[in-house]
Formats: sequence, C-alpha cells, structure tokens
Amino acid sequence: MPRAIRGVLIECDPSIKSIIVQIDAEDHAYIVEELDDQTLVVKENMLTSLKMKLDEKLKATQIPVEESDLD
Amino acid sequence: MSVSTSASFEYLERLPGVTFRRLYQQPSTALAIFRRMLPHLAKTFVMALLYMTKPLPLTDLDSWVHPNSKRERDQALSLLSRLHIVTITAPSRDDPQTVSLTKNFGSSLRLALTGGGEHQSFGVPSHDVLANLDTSYLDDYARDQWEGILHYVVASVAENRGLGSQGPTASVKKLLEAGKLVTTGRHSGGGITQAGFSFLLQEVNAQVWTMLLLWIENAEHMDFDSVEVLSFLFMLGSLELGRAYSTSTLSESQRRMLTYLVDFGLVYVPPSASTQFYPTRLATTLTSDATALRSVSAGFEAALTAASGSKGFIIIETNYRLYAYTNSPLQIAVLALFTKLGTRYPNMVSGRITRESVARAISHGITSDQIISYLGTHAHPQLVKTSSANGNPVLPPTVVDQIRLWQIENERMKATPGFLFRDFENLKEYEACVRYADEIGVLTWKSDAKRMFFVTRHEQLRDYIKSRKTK
Repeated sequence: MPRAIRGVLIECDPSIKSIIVQIDAEDHAYIVEELDDQTLVVKENMLTSLKMKLDEKLKATQIPVEESDLD
Repeated sequence: MSVSTSASFEYLERLPGVTFRRLYQQPSTALAIFRRMLPHLAKTFVMALLYMTKPLPLTDLDSWVHPNSKRERDQALSLLSRLHIVTITAPSRDDPQTVSLTKNFGSSLRLALTGGGEHQSFGVPSHDVLANLDTSYLDDYARDQWEGILHYVVASVAENRGLGSQGPTASVKKLLEAGKLVTTGRHSGGGITQAGFSFLLQEVNAQVWTMLLLWIENAEHMDFDSVEVLSFLFMLGSLELGRAYSTSTLSESQRRMLTYLVDFGLVYVPPSASTQFYPTRLATTLTSDATALRSVSAGFEAALTAASGSKGFIIIETNYRLYAYTNSPLQIAVLALFTKLGTRYPNMVSGRITRESVARAISHGITSDQIISYLGTHAHPQLVKTSSANGNPVLPPTVVDQIRLWQIENERMKATPGFLFRDFENLKEYEACVRYADEIGVLTWKSDAKRMFFVTRHEQLRDYIKSRKTK
C-alpha cells in the first residue's frame, strides 16, 4: 500500500540544498526526505524557521555589493 | 487567471456540499459561478448536460473530447465536481460511471438563461429614480470610498497621518486589522503588513475580492449566514450600473450586510431614499468573466485616475532613475515601497530603483512582476509615446530584466506544500498513479527511479488508489 506524507517540496540549487542539509544535521528537525540534488521534502511547520536560518547562513557568506549613489 | 478568481475559488472549494445546494437555489449564483469560475471546456460540458434528462455515461462524454485533451477533460470534471456542479457516480462493477448536473444547479441555470420564474434573484429595479445620480457620480462615490480604505492602509507608512479625509469607518478598520493588512501594534514596525503591501499593488477587482472574502470570514462570527451573504454578492454582480434597486426583496441579514457594502463603496444608498440602493462599478464587475473584466476594470482605472489629474505619471530611465509627476500621498507611498526616493518637489518626486529597494519590497512579499506591471500601467504618456514611435517596449528592457534578476537572487528555493507518495508495491501501480496525478493537474515532481512523486492535493488520488484496490 503506498503511503502519503504531508510536507513541503523544496526545489533549489544544489548549493542551497547542501546548506539545508547542514542546517538539518544539527537536530534533524527539518527534512522529511531527500529526493535528489535539487529537491527535498521538509516538514510543513518548520518552513519559516528553515527560511530564516537559511537567510542567516547566506548573509554570513555574502559580501554586500556597494551601491554607488549618484542622486 | 486573475488573483481574485483563484482566491475566491479556494474559499468556495472549502464550503460543504450543503452550502452549495442552497447557493445554487439562486439562478444568479448559478450563472455567476458558471460565467466567472469555469474554464471553457467545463462550460461546454455544463451546456451539453443542461437539458439532458438522464445521467450521461462517462464513456459518452469521453467521445466529445479529443483523445489528446484527456488532461483538460479531467481537470474540468474535477473542478465541476469540487464546485458541486456535476455528480459523478462511484465506479462499480455493474453500472458504468455516469455524470449529471446537480439538480439545483441545473434548474437554476436553466432559469437564469431562459428567464421565467418568480425568483427575483437578479434584484428588483426600483422605478422612482433620482435624477441626479448618473454613473459618473457613482464612480466618484465608489472611488472616494475605496481610496479612503487604501489611504488608511498606506497612511500607516506615510508620515502625515491626517490626510484631510476622515478615512474608512471603524468596522472597515477593524476588518483590515483582522485580515492582518495593517497592525496597530507599535512593535515590529507597526502599521502596514506584508499582506497589506501586496494588497495595495493588486488591481482593484482583486482588492475588492480580498476585502469581501475577509469580510465573509469575519461575518460568520457575526451571525451572518454564508449562503445569504454569497448569494447576495453574486446577485450584485449581475445588477446594472446606474440603476436603482429596491431593498424590499432583500432578507434581513442581506439588509444588514448592505451597510457594510456601503462602507466599501460597493453600493450607494441615497440618504433621501433608504429603500433603494445603487450598485457601483465595484459591485457590477465582481463576477464578470475574465475578458470583460479586463476592459471594465480598465474603465474603472481610467475613472480612478481621471480625477487625480493625469493617467500615467511615472518616467523611468535606463539608468534606473525614476521621476513621478504626482503629489498624491497614496501614489508616493506606493512608490516608496520599492523605490529609493531622493527628492520631493511640489508636483514631482524623483528617486532610483536599487537592488536594495527591490530586495526590501520582495521581503515584504511584493513580486517583481507586480512592480513591473505597476510601472507599466502608470507609465507617463511621454514614455508611452516615444517608445511606441521607436517600436520599443514602454519600460526600458534593462530595468525590467534587472528587477526580475534581483528577485531571482533572493528566491533561493521554491516551496510547494503538498504530499509525498511513496512505497508503491510495483512499477505498474506507481505508473498508473503518476499518470492519474498528472492528468488531474496536481503532480509537481516525480522520480521514476525512486518510485515517489509529489502532489499538491491528495483527496482524489486517495480515492483513485482505493478504487484500484477494489478492482
């Protein structure tokens, strides 16, 4: 008998996926199923928390681009 | 399909079958659902079934559809049954599956199309008409009411709160808060919310539906009957602009509802004759079908902008500089949502669209397409003139592309809520289920190697799997 599991399908770049896996590695609170390089299923109620953590991680890795202000 | 349609769809699909049966007692409701909510193929099915006395075997219906369009056929049928317009008998060994219109829907639609009956479902025109009420007066009235609401939403970001007008009534303010379009709390920036931002940038018709759906959800707590409320709204959509209608045929709760609709500017009740009401353009365009809607709402937009001076007011250059010839606090506040404004002159503001300002807008839930379409619809006539003379698009392509790129930069992942199906016993079962999910249009992802797939809704698929088991 097939099973149906509720969740949120995430489609993203492999690099982003690896960061998500890294976030999940701490306490395995997010991922339901890893599907392939660019897709995975996460728990529905954890989506916002995951997005916030991902933003934090990305902010640490990125250097903000200087905007030249000509006004 | 417009935003408003999908929003009202989702609401309707959540209603129980009993509600539908009562809703469809009104011919105006049946007609409104038919013309506004259904794709063409579904309309064709309904029309064909309309005067059929006996249920039609599903196999006969299949013969009307081109074999390559099986997917469209399944989507149309699934929508029709979700809206309780058709009933399809459960598959069994003895009898073939048949399809028929639900009784109430069929008889109401027949009444609506061919006339007859004493249902008074399309409103009863009142004969002693007040002379001074022409459509332009009603448009002005609707615009004032609606802009008052928008002003209130924006005013929570704009610096000067008092803008001359007294703003919407207390009940509207409460509704905006309940719908989380604005917050009164001082914390978290206070004022407008993410939902409020995207509300502002929607077209008028979508805004009206958003407000109405909010109201309906709240009305259930106020002892309103959702069937009466909905059928009244669908009736409003079939009324004629600039005509007086009598309130005497309305039910008690519908009359109570009228006062709220006056607050929104959907109807006008003359102070001298409170037994009459005039639907405004906001109300009469509620359930127009998609194409009519576009032109009518364009007409309304034109009416909206006519009073505030010029139609388009935004000039945007290839170097992302933006000049807006306006002094309306509403328009400036909307621009400030996604532009870095620099200088303000008496009749003009100037600024730039920057990566930062777009990123901020996107973090508020505004999409790049919304920004682009806002810029496009409000482009200054000069911009339109020069671009059409040279055969170029109205907005500089560099700017449009860059705004899209800025959005993609911030969208690291695409999330779709739904259900993962796995653990299929054999390949045949998996393949049949995937094909079925694809045909009813719910499949978002599949992996043949892992025998798993992901769908957005599971109810029909569950029934399908069960029916396979019984075979």
